[in-house]
Amino acid sequence: MSFEDWFRQDRLPHIYCAGCGNGTIINCTLAAVDSMGWKKEDTVFVSGIGCSSRAPGYIVTDSLHTTHGRALAFATGVKMANPKLHVVVFTGDGDLAAIGGNHFIHACRRNIDLTVVCMNNQIYGMTGGQGSPTTPRGCISTTTPYGSTEPAFDLSELAIAAGANYVARWTSYHVKELERAVKTGLETPGFSFIEVLVQCPTNFGRRNKFRQVADQIEYIKAHSLLKAKRDRLLEQGERIPEDMYVVGELMRRSRPAMGLAPTEVKP
Amino acid sequence: MKLAIDETRCKGCNLCTKVCPYRIFKEGKHPNLRGIVVPELDRPERCTNCRLRHLYGRQLCGVCQLTCPDQAIHWVEEEPYEPHKVAIEY
Repeated sequence: MSFEDWFRQDRLPHIYCAGCGNGTIINCTLAAVDSMGWKKEDTVFVSGIGCSSRAPGYIVTDSLHTTHGRALAFATGVKMANPKLHVVVFTGDGDLAAIGGNHFIHACRRNIDLTVVCMNNQIYGMTGGQGSPTTPRGCISTTTPYGSTEPAFDLSELAIAAGANYVARWTSYHVKELERAVKTGLETPGFSFIEVLVQCPTNFGRRNKFRQVADQIEYIKAHSLLKAKRDRLLEQGERIPEDMYVVGELMRRSRPAMGLAPTEVKP
Repeated sequence: MKLAIDETRCKGCNLCTKVCPYRIFKEGKHPNLRGIVVPELDRPERCTNCRLRHLYGRQLCGVCQLTCPDQAIHWVEEEPYEPHKVAIEY
């Protein structure tokens, strides 16, 4: 069995633009879910509103496509109602960081046994390219036509500070690492947060001098800095460039988790 | 096993040409019926997964399949008695 069995073949091809990396992330997440050996009846995918949140519609399992920003609230409800279910949340940066920010930090604080895959394309892709909380400084969007002047949100740091059990960040270029990170997140009891930087050729790349899809991939690849290397640079007292994304497993700890399935008593 | 690109799903983003370690995927030249320039396969018999999948009994490499955002790349079993090509790399 491979991850292709988890797709609804009648719904494909999906509506994502040519070159959009969301499909890559769905592939990696489903490969990780497939390697866990879960049954399709016991797995639930939850999403909010946005490009990324179209994902559960292409998956054969039960899924919830909920209101904007409330994916984590609904997922909390699913998990608390039936702790035996495995809940995976697909969400985007506008969904999670902007309108759902409060739900996000409280889900981290409660440390509910969820796995959240955040497809961070650094812009509101579906509604026409408005600037989102994660738009990097100086990047052009339709609401910041002279370049964004605000500092961007670091979602992984936020999750660490709020108390998530497992936090990792990868990009859509690092497919194998991403698959491994999602698998670790699924295995970890408690809140696991995997942030994935993803290219958006239609609304981000077009306005920010990435004319081809590959240009933005190359940029993300060149500007990702492994956490081990970041630590080494910090030890040597060197400066870390501002525009680098720190990738890797950023946090793993075992705070007491909520919503764990009761361990079955063997007769 | 052999590589296959599903032309009904491919959107022509050419991401596969960037990730294959053997550079099997090449940018296509001619648009198909849907007006999409589907990548071409350059000597696909060099693919690791095609050659060694059955020997190892597990998925090898598979980066192109994971990366393809449109789920267009997959492997198919060959027909019985299909002629094999052997690529020798020096």
